[in-house]
Amino acid sequence: MIELRNVGMTFEREGEPFQALADVTFTIDDGEFTTIIGPSGCGKTTLLKIIAGLIKPTAGTVVVDGEVVDGPGPNRALVFQNFVLLPWATVLDNAAFGLEARGMKKEERHRVAAEQLARVGLVGFENHYPRELSGGMQQRVGIARALAVDPANLLMDEPFGALDALTRQLMQKDLLSLWQDSEPRTAAFVTHSMDEAVFLSDKVVLMNTRPGRIEEIIDVPFGRPRQHEITSSAEYNEFTNLLWSKLEGMQRIDMASREGEA
Amino acid sequence: MADQPTLLPGQATAEEPRAAPLRQRLSGNWPRLTVGLLSAMAGLLVWDIYTRTAGDQLFTPTVPSIASAFGDLIREREFWASYATTLEPFFYGWASALALGLTLGLFMGLSRTASTVSMPHLGFFNTLPVSTLVPVVVIVFGIDMVARSAVVFLFAIVEVTLTTASGVRYVDSDLLDMGRSFGLRRIRRLTRIILPGAAPGIAAAVRVGTGRAVVGMVVMELLLVSVGVGKLISRSRDFFEAPRLYAVVVSLAIFALAVQALMSALERRSQRWRGAAAT
Repeated sequence: MIELRNVGMTFEREGEPFQALADVTFTIDDGEFTTIIGPSGCGKTTLLKIIAGLIKPTAGTVVVDGEVVDGPGPNRALVFQNFVLLPWATVLDNAAFGLEARGMKKEERHRVAAEQLARVGLVGFENHYPRELSGGMQQRVGIARALAVDPANLLMDEPFGALDALTRQLMQKDLLSLWQDSEPRTAAFVTHSMDEAVFLSDKVVLMNTRPGRIEEIIDVPFGRPRQHEITSSAEYNEFTNLLWSKLEGMQRIDMASREGEA
Repeated sequence: MADQPTLLPGQATAEEPRAAPLRQRLSGNWPRLTVGLLSAMAGLLVWDIYTRTAGDQLFTPTVPSIASAFGDLIREREFWASYATTLEPFFYGWASALALGLTLGLFMGLSRTASTVSMPHLGFFNTLPVSTLVPVVVIVFGIDMVARSAVVFLFAIVEVTLTTASGVRYVDSDLLDMGRSFGLRRIRRLTRIILPGAAPGIAAAVRVGTGRAVVGMVVMELLLVSVGVGKLISRSRDFFEAPRLYAVVVSLAIFALAVQALMSALERRSQRWRGAAAT
């Protein structure tokens, strides 16, 4: 379970204080897949890094599975937008990296990593180097690396944001089935794609900008296990359009206020 | 001389699997190589014509006379002994500059404090022409092996340190974040992310530092009392043996080029993981 209590973040930007996040409070229940979505600059990636423990918030607290977050911990693993693989290490060593960081012996961590690589469909690529793989395959390594440490909470920062539309769709499907077929795990998923948010998650946290804050928290009314077919249903499209119009409305107001300032 | 042609093909066959990519690279580059070779030959031709027509052959010998002097030179025992004499302090100075420079550079790259503390000193030595320190070295160390090594060391140390520091500083910060997110501890962070990530910068530091050390070696031979290659030069100068003087200079150029080629190969090797495609 991930609980955010009045989380705030103020940076220094060009000598002026800049409020990136203000009073963010919400809870992600055990085994729940929650998407954080919002226009660019709403602080959603910052928020995820705060949950991961990479950034300390300037206000409020984050509690993960009953413990106050004070840095990264073994109950969380992060999947990065631009994959962040070690270019000089093989796919297998990359997938085993989280385990190596925790001091697991080589033989064992390679066995676990190979299992996870098989789950994400990368059998036969263990000894390749990241540069020999497509973007989608590199992110599969990133997902395998995160799953290998068996985290109770999986944090994903726009993991498919750098991929082309077709690869992206395939990755969404595979992530969904990987999610539904494995033991329950709590997930926080940052994206700017509404389709992705609705298709994957149980709950959508809609954020607004300046300062980054929660606009609305919306439950996704589709059960599990979920198939890709739902994306062509009328209810799905109606729901996605509703969220789109909310996001679009926010963006228009933001643009108007910026013009007013200029 | 006669032995050399048979030696080269022998090496090539021993290195067969590794030689293949080189051959491909050469064949892909042949227009560039041809033009480069033609340009070099044109340069020699211009030199030769000048010396035969306008120049005074006492000061500017013809290309064939330099070549034959070079041939004589490398058959002399004294030539090789001179190089051995010169290379000993070169090696000490070079190795100590690399050892200290890489260590100091690593600390400077890792810690902002180390960088702030070292910068004024390095900045001072960086702007100062190193040759001006040679008299200081003579006063402090005299003219023996320590002094000779110190000159080479002083020529290389600053560049090695600064290049290493910037190589370490530019390790992808996303990788460091990733390591931190998985709870990577200090030692592994160094060995698994920082050192491999900085390898291209470290290799560049070694290459640049070696080049500087070669310059230091020549300066050391000419400004301190000449005992090695410097003695070959000064004696040829004193006896007005221009072709021999030029031949010694050519041998230095060949030495420097060989060292440079070796260092570039090392640098390429350290960047193999970057691959051909920068995706």
